[in-house]
Amino acid sequence: MSEHKIYFKFDGKTYGGNEGDTIAAALLRNNVKLVGRSFKYHRPRGIYTCGIEEPNALVQIINEHNEPNVRATVKKIYEGMVVKSQNRWPSLKRDLGSINNILSPIFSAGFYYKTFMGPKGFWKNVYEPLIRRTAGLGKPPREFRSKSIHLHHNVDIVIVGGGFSGLLAAKKLAGTNYDVLLIEREDSLGGILKNTKKIELINDQNPSDWIEKTERLIQNSRNIKVLKNTLMTTYNFSDHLIAVEDKSVGKPQDNEKPELVLHKIRTKQTILANGHIERFISFRNNDLPGVMLAASFEKYIQKYGVVPEESPVIFTNNSSTFSLVKSLVDLGHKPKAYVDVRDQKKIEKETVELLNKYNIPLYAKSEIEGCEGKNEISKVSIRVKKNEIIKIKTSMLCVSGGFNPDIHLFTQSKGLLKWDETILAFKPEKTFQNTITLGSVSGNFSYEKLIGEINKKLDFFEGINDLEIKLNINGPKKFQIKELWETNHAKKSLWSKSFIDLQNDVTTKDLKQAVLEGFNRIEHLKRFTTNSMGTDQGKISSINALGIVSKILKKSVSEVGTTIYRPPYAPLSFSAIAGRSTYEFYDPERKTPVHPWHVKHNAVFEDVGQWKRPWYFKKHNNESMEQAVQRESKQVRESAGILDGSTLGKIEIKGKDALAFVNLIYTNSFTKMKPMTARYALMLGEDGMVKDDGIVCKINDQHFLTTTTTGGAANVLAHMEEYAQTEWPNMNVYMNSITEQFSTFNISGPKARTIMSRVFNNIDFSNESFPFMTFNNFDYLNTKVRILRASFTGEPGYEIYVSPKHALTLWERIFYYSKDLDLVPYGTETMHLLRAEKGYIIVGQDTDGTVTPIDLNLNWMIGKKKKDFIGKRSLTRSDIVRSDRKQLVGLVPLNKAYGIEEGQHVIEEKNLNTPIKKPVKMLGHVTSSYFSPTLNHSVAMALIKGGNRKIGSQLYVSTSDLNVIPVEVVKPNFIDPKNERLIS
Amino acid sequence: MLLINCPYCGERDQSEFTNGGEAHVARPKDPDQVNDREWSEYVFVRANPKGIYYERWVHTHGCKKWFNAIRDTSTDEILKIYKIGETPPLIKRFKNTLRSPSGEPDVGSGNFTVKKP
Repeated sequence: MSEHKIYFKFDGKTYGGNEGDTIAAALLRNNVKLVGRSFKYHRPRGIYTCGIEEPNALVQIINEHNEPNVRATVKKIYEGMVVKSQNRWPSLKRDLGSINNILSPIFSAGFYYKTFMGPKGFWKNVYEPLIRRTAGLGKPPREFRSKSIHLHHNVDIVIVGGGFSGLLAAKKLAGTNYDVLLIEREDSLGGILKNTKKIELINDQNPSDWIEKTERLIQNSRNIKVLKNTLMTTYNFSDHLIAVEDKSVGKPQDNEKPELVLHKIRTKQTILANGHIERFISFRNNDLPGVMLAASFEKYIQKYGVVPEESPVIFTNNSSTFSLVKSLVDLGHKPKAYVDVRDQKKIEKETVELLNKYNIPLYAKSEIEGCEGKNEISKVSIRVKKNEIIKIKTSMLCVSGGFNPDIHLFTQSKGLLKWDETILAFKPEKTFQNTITLGSVSGNFSYEKLIGEINKKLDFFEGINDLEIKLNINGPKKFQIKELWETNHAKKSLWSKSFIDLQNDVTTKDLKQAVLEGFNRIEHLKRFTTNSMGTDQGKISSINALGIVSKILKKSVSEVGTTIYRPPYAPLSFSAIAGRSTYEFYDPERKTPVHPWHVKHNAVFEDVGQWKRPWYFKKHNNESMEQAVQRESKQVRESAGILDGSTLGKIEIKGKDALAFVNLIYTNSFTKMKPMTARYALMLGEDGMVKDDGIVCKINDQHFLTTTTTGGAANVLAHMEEYAQTEWPNMNVYMNSITEQFSTFNISGPKARTIMSRVFNNIDFSNESFPFMTFNNFDYLNTKVRILRASFTGEPGYEIYVSPKHALTLWERIFYYSKDLDLVPYGTETMHLLRAEKGYIIVGQDTDGTVTPIDLNLNWMIGKKKKDFIGKRSLTRSDIVRSDRKQLVGLVPLNKAYGIEEGQHVIEEKNLNTPIKKPVKMLGHVTSSYFSPTLNHSVAMALIKGGNRKIGSQLYVSTSDLNVIPVEVVKPNFIDPKNERLIS
Repeated sequence: MLLINCPYCGERDQSEFTNGGEAHVARPKDPDQVNDREWSEYVFVRANPKGIYYERWVHTHGCKKWFNAIRDTSTDEILKIYKIGETPPLIKRFKNTLRSPSGEPDVGSGNFTVKKP
């Protein structure tokens, strides 16, 4: 570790740390213990652990776009980093929110559900904003940035964890033919060997020398790739794992390079060697800054060279704390007291000897009753005998409540657990996938047995040798523990709380209350109390909660069971998941070849699927959408309009059986249709509901072109493919999307024919030689065009198909030739209005997947003589032939000045008494509504029950201010019902 | 995420595929000859067993080909993949394990992570 100091800011004050320090290590180096306020009660909180399991020390990194909830125990410092504490106001030391602590009786388990029930409107306006201000974690980042990439791996073996077990496994596999990935979440390999004094010598070498040698062996082996700073977050089905690598450890943000790499790994075998997590013990005020887990305390000493406190009190129920005492005394420090709940006789002789040698007071068969202090510990109370409590001054208390095998990933893989009475923890019992657990994650807490375990479990791999390792172990050889989850309070006050979940401020009292209220199933209890539902998933405490609950219920922990650990293992940044799929790469934008022209002419765009379609064109900056649409649609009916329809889906169908296939796909009959004619066609699902509509052009019996709605193109092609491949695989038919191969313009209006004759002056557009619903191919300049006479405005119209290469030129030429003809470019909104005026449906607006062609009065489109088509049989099902189904009708307001709102209900009631006391009978709803500039009143379409029989009657449409508008039910065709203009 | 062996392209991630529901649900040859009930069963009713199941998949973001698979829904293990038109292997051929992640009962679902004592 270099002596070069790194300076960073915490809550405005500058501190110096060493290279490689986490924020927590650097703060402890500067004797800062108070680092945050708790979630609910705003109690002072400090650094509890030295790793990813941290529940308390969450901070906000201001210079990284306000990144919130960063674990101070994981994030490494760098020069100029700006860190702020969270959930406090106005300052960390004087936090007004801590009044919540005094109000705590109302914040007990389930308090959100019970307290904030009424009066009406209070939740939205009073409670929620208040709770949001006082409860919670950090503030959200100011902007979203993603600088992450995704990497895929296909390997034979993944080793999760580069600690002692992981290194041994890698050593065994080094030089074999297996492709191995070793994943380590910290910046260096070695784990326990670096963090504790538990192992003195490995093969007569210093552990650090052994690690270095082993790492070199692994690096040179070529078949093992090591990823450091990489957290395995997810263990999915099918041996699929996800790990996230932090590339920016100890470095400021770099805007050019990816910060995070998401590794998606496929493997054949997974070796879990991800160790264990120490757990705490609940006692009075076990959340005060200064309380720290014993192994974490030792890790600060061994890994970071920080001694958080030279003479702490140690509180344990197991044999592991020997090593912490050793670490301290080796540096010449002396713990103030060693408190062990076990009988003197049960305490390992190595520990007793060490304590005696250094004259450290041992309190056997004793426990910590609680601790005192304002913003950090000043005194601890030790219960030495039943009613005898002695107080010791100290600023830190190291707690060890035993260890849990880190089973999160194992349970994610769907493996089964079993409660082990000797270590008082859940350990893996039965694997579900190709998983091997090694070392402490498998519940093996003995180093002596480790080598044998690894040799045995990895025995089936080819080309490996048995490891021969000699270990010199410090202290007790066998792990021993006595059950203790919580100690008894002697003192009662509002300030005195014994916590079970530090991050969510859940107390042991809350657990008892929840059980009392009947939440005695562990999954219910978890949700009611929010125990272990914080971002740390209760890594240091969830098993303790089970212990406490099992005592209340008088059941074994095994019977109580555990909640399920779900991925990710630790919070995963959204930016890692997003990868490169952000902003313009999130979803591709599709633009038509005429797009630049639209932009130049002030088009406002609408997203239709991935397409950018002109919504309307602004004539001048002050023109509103409504004004633009009225102007555009009036002009289409009076002179002519042009629509860029290039986005419409286009599918080419070819093959010997093309005719038979098209006959099966669409409702209409195409058999008698002449070549080079077109037909408006409907596509149904097998349930008889309208799926899509479009125009089918027949070139000949073996060759068809169909159009689809813009949004439906991909689905329609998929639907055709599905039937062609699965139902009628023997048909000779091929489909191909040609949406992007042709640009499509639609010109319609009374002057459309004149415009067409000018642009294509060699073509005869008279009704006789170019009737409605026919098409033909023509040479045009140096390209070809296909022109179809069709219309969805009700005016005479032509659709021009041209190669995209020539599209913009043609579009401009059309305008050039119609300078004096008042041609207007219009967008999708005007198109909808024009269609609504004619009662032409829009699939997805006037239909919603529950509407049949009969409901739409489109019976004429059904080829009745056809033996079969998709959905035909469904049209005669009893439910479909009901006459009181919702049917499409037109609505016209009686008072022409009124507008009808889309989505409103159609009802029979003349007026709605407010407040509405009894249910109002709904007949249906308004699907489309527009103000028609040609008719000078609103026109609407609605789906209403038994609509056909209601034509001519008067109904009412509700409004958003609970009024009603009287309307007349009419046939949905408002302009030119006889279609005289259309075919003129 | 499943790893699916497309019979045309090889092994690919599940995200490239779309599940098409139960396989071998035959469309009535002459729909007019079946009654409402039989037709509705064809359109709406599908088996949803816990255990071995014939199902259809399509390689949507790939070759766009449909194919059939036999999958054990209790373990998500794909036991067999075969092309459209090939004779479906008999389910009896496979050991119906009903092995489930959490050792839960054969019928219904459970949320157990701990082996029952």
